[in-house]
Amino acid sequence: MSLLHLSFYSTFAISSLGLAFHRAHLISALLCLESIILSIYIALSTLPIENQTPSLTLMPILILAFSACEAG
Amino acid sequence: MKTTLLLNTSMLLTLLLILTPMLLPLLSKKLQNSPTTIIQATKAAFLTSLVPTMLFLFTGTDNITSYWEWSLITNFKIPLSLKIDQYSTLFLSTALFVTWSILQFASWYMIADPHITKFFSYLLTFLIAMLILTTANNMFLLFIGWEGVGIMSFLLIGWWQGRTEANTAALQAVLYNRIGDIGLILSMAWLASTTNSWDMQQLLPNTTETSTLPLLGLILAATGKSAQFGLHPWLPAAMEGPTPVSALLHSSTMVVAGIFLLIRTHPLFTNNQIALTLCLCLGALSTLFAATCALTQNDIKKIIAFSTSSQLGLMMVTIGLNLPQLAFLHISTHAFFKAMLFLCSGSIIHNLNGEQDIRKMGGLQKMLPTTTSCLTIGNLALMGTPFLAGFYSKDLIIENLNTSHLNAWALSLTLMATAFTATYSLRMTILIQTGQTRMSPITPMNENNPTIINPITRLALGSIITGLLITTYITPMHTTPTTMPTYIKSAAMLLTISGIILAIELSNMTHTLTQPKQNTLLNFSSSLGYFNPLTHRLSSLSLLNTGQKISSHLIDLSWYKKMGPEGLAAMQLTATKTSTPFHTGLIKTYLGSFALSIILLLLIH
Repeated sequence: MSLLHLSFYSTFAISSLGLAFHRAHLISALLCLESIILSIYIALSTLPIENQTPSLTLMPILILAFSACEAG
Repeated sequence: MKTTLLLNTSMLLTLLLILTPMLLPLLSKKLQNSPTTIIQATKAAFLTSLVPTMLFLFTGTDNITSYWEWSLITNFKIPLSLKIDQYSTLFLSTALFVTWSILQFASWYMIADPHITKFFSYLLTFLIAMLILTTANNMFLLFIGWEGVGIMSFLLIGWWQGRTEANTAALQAVLYNRIGDIGLILSMAWLASTTNSWDMQQLLPNTTETSTLPLLGLILAATGKSAQFGLHPWLPAAMEGPTPVSALLHSSTMVVAGIFLLIRTHPLFTNNQIALTLCLCLGALSTLFAATCALTQNDIKKIIAFSTSSQLGLMMVTIGLNLPQLAFLHISTHAFFKAMLFLCSGSIIHNLNGEQDIRKMGGLQKMLPTTTSCLTIGNLALMGTPFLAGFYSKDLIIENLNTSHLNAWALSLTLMATAFTATYSLRMTILIQTGQTRMSPITPMNENNPTIINPITRLALGSIITGLLITTYITPMHTTPTTMPTYIKSAAMLLTISGIILAIELSNMTHTLTQPKQNTLLNFSSSLGYFNPLTHRLSSLSLLNTGQKISSHLIDLSWYKKMGPEGLAAMQLTATKTSTPFHTGLIKTYLGSFALSIILLLLIH
């Protein structure tokens, strides 16, 4: 896969494993959650460009809104 | 001769004479009333009232006098107008004569009362209200008189206000009269909105069909005021008042106000067969019911009260036959002998030191000769003995009943009631006057007072000759039935005789009986048809129950507690309590499965 896909796919995988295994401090779980959200954001931003569907441009903003609600 | 001028002047003079004891004390401190002045005023008013009555009888002069006008709104005028016609002149003379005798009697009866002058002025106010009612030419004035007699009845029944029974009886009278007033106001409202007038002259030439609603209202008003069946319990209870009150109000004058209303408005009824049949059946039921209740009563005044109720039913039957003049004739003759019966009973009660139970009287014929003779005359007149006063009205009514095309049930009820009338009257006479004495040995028995004897004998004279006098001088408004089979002509007589025979047989049989055995019919009659406990308790119980259900149970308890705010909170609490066991909290396992799914994802790609 391309470099871009590798970057956010590996970020997602490592952050999820970090959320699952590092249980000593809850702040680490929070940071991992935020990085999961970040990787999803990057992926969703490149989605309309790659697949030529401009109507999906709103998706990353929505994801940010809902994740902010969920975290807060 | 200027008959109209003479008629008007004498009428006004009569009314002024009767108003004098009310007005003079207001003008000067020195002109206070006393029983004697009131009696003298009534006597003078009676003698003056003979002038318009004679004028009317001999020349047939009718008159309507309009004075002042209440202009409430521009197109609805209510003049203060008095109608002088057959009904009002005859009633005026009769009422004044009877009142004069009753007031004279009351000056002896109420002599021990400290407020005797107030009593007399109450009686006079009542009389004025009644005269307003009868001389009224429009419904407004009639309503004023109507309410006036109702209020005075309340005040007079509860005269001895220390007695609870007297207070409840007065309240009962007012409540039942009020229910009747609803009907009167309904008809007045209908008349005002449909015919735009409350004048009798404008309402009455209504020969086409009148709608039934105002007539039902008028019948309801008569039912309340004249104690027809359904609104009748107040009349026997009204015997709690002093005997002069019973004699004046509840025998001659007030209770006939309802019938008088129907007589005044009878042209409205002429073409409406529903209303006429209703009057007929209601009257028949009332007369039989009251006569049945009178059969087993032991209190003199209650027997006479039920007798009044029965005669009122008979008057209602006459209205139902579309014969208002005959009903009025019965009102006039009935006033005489009923007032006399009450006065005789008052004399007996006082002479026996307050004893009202006829089982404790006997042999009074020798001890109170005048009173008991007049009692007998009154009872004979009530039964319709030929050529006494009651005969002229009662026999005519029965004849007309028998020869009209009407409801057979109403006819048979009325005929049975006629027989019962004879029975209870004779029972009363036998138990009071004959046999050995059953009273206590020491009684203050003395009837040799002219204040008692004169009124009673005057009324006895009236009971004998009035029937003949009135029928001789009044032109009938309808043709009397002249040919009928013999058995129908003598039907009233035969029934009366059979009632007399029944009474004599029964009194012979039960002469030595101390306590009658109870059976269904006896219980029905002596507890007045179970009407009083049933209606008085049931109606108030159901009303209060419904009220409590709506206000307390429905609104307070169910809506606020079960369904409203507190109910919502309870629902949330239940939901929370149910879902708490589901949170088991095995975090490590959940995170482990999460990691497993991530690793699998990595392996696949």
